[in-house]
Amino acid sequence: MGYLGESLLTALELIINLDREVRTTAWVSLYTSSCAIVIAALLGVPTGLWLGLNRFRGRQILLALLNTLMALPTVVVGLLLFGLLSRQGPLGPLGLLFTPLAMIAGQTVLATPIVANLVLAAVTGADQRIINTALTLGASRFQAAIQLLREIRFGVMAAVIAGFGRVIAEVGVAMMLGGNIRNSTRTMTTAIALETSKGEFAFGLALGVLLLSVALLVNLFLNVLQQR
Amino acid sequence: MPPVVSLNNILVLQGDSFKLSVEHLVLQPGLIYALTGANGSGKSTLLRVMALLTPPFEGTIEFSGNKTNNPARQRQKVTLVEQSPYLFKGKVIDNLSYGLKLRGIDNNERIRRITTTLANVGLEGFEQRQAKELSGGEIQRVALARALALKPELLLLDEPTANIDSSSLQGYEALLRDLPKYGVTVVFSTHDPSQSQRLGDQVLRLDNGRLLSSLQQRLDERSNLYGT
Repeated sequence: MGYLGESLLTALELIINLDREVRTTAWVSLYTSSCAIVIAALLGVPTGLWLGLNRFRGRQILLALLNTLMALPTVVVGLLLFGLLSRQGPLGPLGLLFTPLAMIAGQTVLATPIVANLVLAAVTGADQRIINTALTLGASRFQAAIQLLREIRFGVMAAVIAGFGRVIAEVGVAMMLGGNIRNSTRTMTTAIALETSKGEFAFGLALGVLLLSVALLVNLFLNVLQQR
Repeated sequence: MPPVVSLNNILVLQGDSFKLSVEHLVLQPGLIYALTGANGSGKSTLLRVMALLTPPFEGTIEFSGNKTNNPARQRQKVTLVEQSPYLFKGKVIDNLSYGLKLRGIDNNERIRRITTTLANVGLEGFEQRQAKELSGGEIQRVALARALALKPELLLLDEPTANIDSSSLQGYEALLRDLPKYGVTVVFSTHDPSQSQRLGDQVLRLDNGRLLSSLQQRLDERSNLYGT
């Protein structure tokens, strides 16, 4: 059996035996990404809904900005937030740098434009009669918007899942704002980079397999939603 | 008894171009009004203005003598069923419950109204049917039931029989004819002159976005009769 095969076997052993290091790293990844996506959904869903339902001066500029933010390189987000959170930065006194909170903030910045843009697309593509039907049945504008969200709920869930897929797989923010501290801010992606550079290929591979499994599950779920 | 609705000096523009003009229109309670006119004459626009979905550029709309200061509240007295109505995802009962829940009607009364109204439109036992599995005619009738369950003062129907097959037409028209007995004032648009005569207590005619006065209508009918 070659080097790759042996490493893969060791990796599977680590996963099956629920190795403590693998477990902790996976937990940090899932915890920070889940917190970030919840906040991103709370910000992004109303933003996408509002942009989809309203026409106003400057809307095109906002849409262009949102599209640009969607393609933000993770290290740039990491860099900007590093500047804000570092000791000399305006938010330095809060002492957030190299904590899971800093990572959650960075990942929220990454995920929010994705969620907002995909919700906007779902609103734009929704049946134009939904809002008027709700209004004519006695709903207020706000209640009609909530009903629209219910009608496009699978599109909204797909947007949130796509955002989750982006943040759980990113390295830049986790590395720059988390600092890759063992048992605290070390995520699956940063651990893979670190352990592989140390020669612990099997450990890196174990985390890689886990990360791929999460990505696969997310995409399978996304496919199921898109077919409904 | 005050009129159900009165429109004064209504002007509707689409962009910069003229769409609809109604100098004065008063609808008395308990009558059926047939709204006729060629394609593009403004029938749907007038119905949408009365449903408070399209705000006029100029003019006033009064419901039971009160000006429409609070459109959301006034909209609870009037319901529009569009030519191709939209049914919310889910079951028939969910669709009928929507407007009733918005009005704070309790569960027992809700169920009672839903059962009765579905039976009235010939859809007894349809409560648990999925909306997406219904035929065009059934969708039309569920939409009518959804509106009737709300007991509106004014029911607006845009081409209500367009999707009804000839075998169901008679029953549907009989149902419309009975509505004033329950205190509902009905305005329906139609292309069929015989239907407007059959069902309408009064016929309203639109020509190129202008509501013809009853005098003008009589003069037109006279000139048609004598070929002048």
